[in-house]
Amino acid sequence: MNTTVSDVEIKGATKQFGSNIVLDAIDLEVKQGELLTLLGPSGCGKSTTLNLIAGFLEADQGDVYIKGKKVTKVPPYKRDLGMVFQTYSLFPHMTVYENLNFGLKLRKISKAEQKEKIDRVLALVKMSGLEHRYPRELSGGQRQRVAIARALVVEPELLLLDEPLSNLDAKLRHELRLEIKRLQKEIGVTTIFVTHDQEEALSLSDRVVVMNAGKIEQISTPTSIYKHPKTEFVFQFIGKSNSFEGAVVAIDSQKISVKAGEEIVVVDYDNIIGEDRDISSGDEVKLYIRPENIHIASTRETSAPLELHPATITQMNYLGTSWEIDVSLIGKSLQVLTNDYDSSWREGREVFVGWNPSDLKLIKKE
Amino acid sequence: MEPVRSQINQERIEAEPPLKQKKLRKRKSWVPGLLLLVPILLFLFGFFVVPMLYILYLSFISTDSLSGAGAVYSLQNYITLFTDSYYLSSLWITVKISLLSSLVALILGYPIALTMAKSTPRMRAIITLLIASPLLVSIVVRNFGWYLLLLPNGTINSFLMNIGIINKPLNLLFSELGVVIGLSNAYLPFMVLAIVTSLYNIDPSLEKASAILGASPLRSFFSITLPLSLPGIVSGCVLVFSLSMSAYVTPALMGGANVPVMPVVVYDQINNLLQWTFGSALSYVLLATTLISVFIFTRAFEKSKFKEVFR
Ligand SMILES: Nc1ncnc2c1ncn2[C@@H]1O[C@H](COP(=O)(O)OP(=O)(O)OP(=O)(O)O)[C@@H](O)[C@H]1O
Ligand SMILES: [Mg+2]
Repeated sequence: MNTTVSDVEIKGATKQFGSNIVLDAIDLEVKQGELLTLLGPSGCGKSTTLNLIAGFLEADQGDVYIKGKKVTKVPPYKRDLGMVFQTYSLFPHMTVYENLNFGLKLRKISKAEQKEKIDRVLALVKMSGLEHRYPRELSGGQRQRVAIARALVVEPELLLLDEPLSNLDAKLRHELRLEIKRLQKEIGVTTIFVTHDQEEALSLSDRVVVMNAGKIEQISTPTSIYKHPKTEFVFQFIGKSNSFEGAVVAIDSQKISVKAGEEIVVVDYDNIIGEDRDISSGDEVKLYIRPENIHIASTRETSAPLELHPATITQMNYLGTSWEIDVSLIGKSLQVLTNDYDSSWREGREVFVGWNPSDLKLIKKE
Repeated sequence: MEPVRSQINQERIEAEPPLKQKKLRKRKSWVPGLLLLVPILLFLFGFFVVPMLYILYLSFISTDSLSGAGAVYSLQNYITLFTDSYYLSSLWITVKISLLSSLVALILGYPIALTMAKSTPRMRAIITLLIASPLLVSIVVRNFGWYLLLLPNGTINSFLMNIGIINKPLNLLFSELGVVIGLSNAYLPFMVLAIVTSLYNIDPSLEKASAILGASPLRSFFSITLPLSLPGIVSGCVLVFSLSMSAYVTPALMGGANVPVMPVVVYDQINNLLQWTFGSALSYVLLATTLISVFIFTRAFEKSKFKEVFR
């Protein structure tokens, strides 16, 4: 597989509904065979982007290329794509078989070949034997599988999925997510997956596109999105985080010292987020740290290399595999996520918290 | 592999109020709800059920004395009706005209409904108003309006003769054609509103799904939109057909003596010839024909390959 060929390319696409700028000069490249997710809060323009690629909307400015061909003016039915909609959109008056055959019939292939392709794709989504059911007679998860099968059976150039799992319960969503990932790798079809669920995006994708208010904030691999967010928005949107405000008191070549409340904390120079990396003494800054990066211990001795600060537990939530513990650190509330749990911890108990300077992120306030 | 719970179930569970609350509410509202229906039930019984039963009773009396004394109960009225070609042909004309009116209303109404379903709410309101406006004008007034258009020396015939398409006037009025024009026009709003309701109910993403699978707009229309709007088509046709079968004013004015449809014949028997018992039998045959036709028509669709649409 040649990963340098881009299957989809959007160049400077702008879309406006009335005075509402929904997409603001978006540039996006999707590589051949990759699974790319569009992630962002509701209303940020994910579906609009997908609709531009599918051809249901036309950009006010900019162009869309599929396999190197400009398709800006090509209607959806000539684009040869597969798409799965949030509402499944199975044809209610057709059986599963007829739904799958709909696209095949338009492609003028022999009856035998139609059946062969349908049987194959039904096996792929584990729905063999249900071809004579009507959509009404299927469960939500089964309908979703049929919708995916219907998009795949025509062997599209590109597979578009618009929040295909958002109507399902948590367990089924997890199951189908894994299945989509498996299928995608098995077939190797270039896929664009829209979601507002960050866990879904991180677990599925080769690359994640984080969108906000009609703009692309960052395009990276899931790990890099999580570990090296480029903007404050990305950091806040992906995962949970604690934030403090402070002012820079000293700078040397590698570290920045920030006074937050009464404490002086030290941040690595590499951990500055955002465009403005030009920090000087006296600047107002915000500090961020992820809950799972805060260490918590009953005594000072346990985590020797870290500097520990005394704090008080204010709330404890059991999450199944881990504990979410809220502590109060010199009047500031801090959320901690930990697997090491001491049974003597109670609300009101004094504990010690600390962190690695390399886990602290810093952003300059405007 | 079997998913635990379908999405629909889940939605339903969320939408329902807690069980206890629901039960309480139900018990409270049940009795007053029924009490509210009492006046209308009494009204229907007194002014619909009783007269209908009385007419049915009359239809089995073969003498014209309506009081019990000399009455002879027999099927004579029905036998006369089914052996006299005049009445049979009247029944046939009525069915034919009603079928044609439904068809014309469907052909004219479907594009209007489709336009309505695709337009903005504002445009939709305007079209609805235009469509419904004929209902605001008395049927008698409208019929005289058509006279002006359809008479042998009326607007349409003069126009066609002036431009030389025809050299003698067409029989637009006092013909079956005139009645069909009148009925389909009068009942067009019912057809449009029935179809548009079912078009609204089609999930717009189905058309998108069809397009992305490669179907042209025309193909999508015939494979998705048209079949899914069948319930609207069927109920629109049933409405227009039943209304046409029982229409009196329009056939009487637009067809006159040349088009003796059943309601006109019944009126004649009862009001002019005072043949109450025979008129009653005619009414029941008309009613039965309508019911049977409607039953066969809807059944045919519900058993067709599109049966899934009617669930
Ligand atoms: N046809 C339309 N007319 C006017 N505004 C629209 C239209 N479609 C979308 N919008 C607006 O464009 C913005 C982006 O919409 P879009 O559907 O792309 O959001 P999204 O990222 O997919 O959100 P969600 O996660 O809720 O699906 C929203 O503010 C929405 O209100
Ligand atoms: Mg969306």
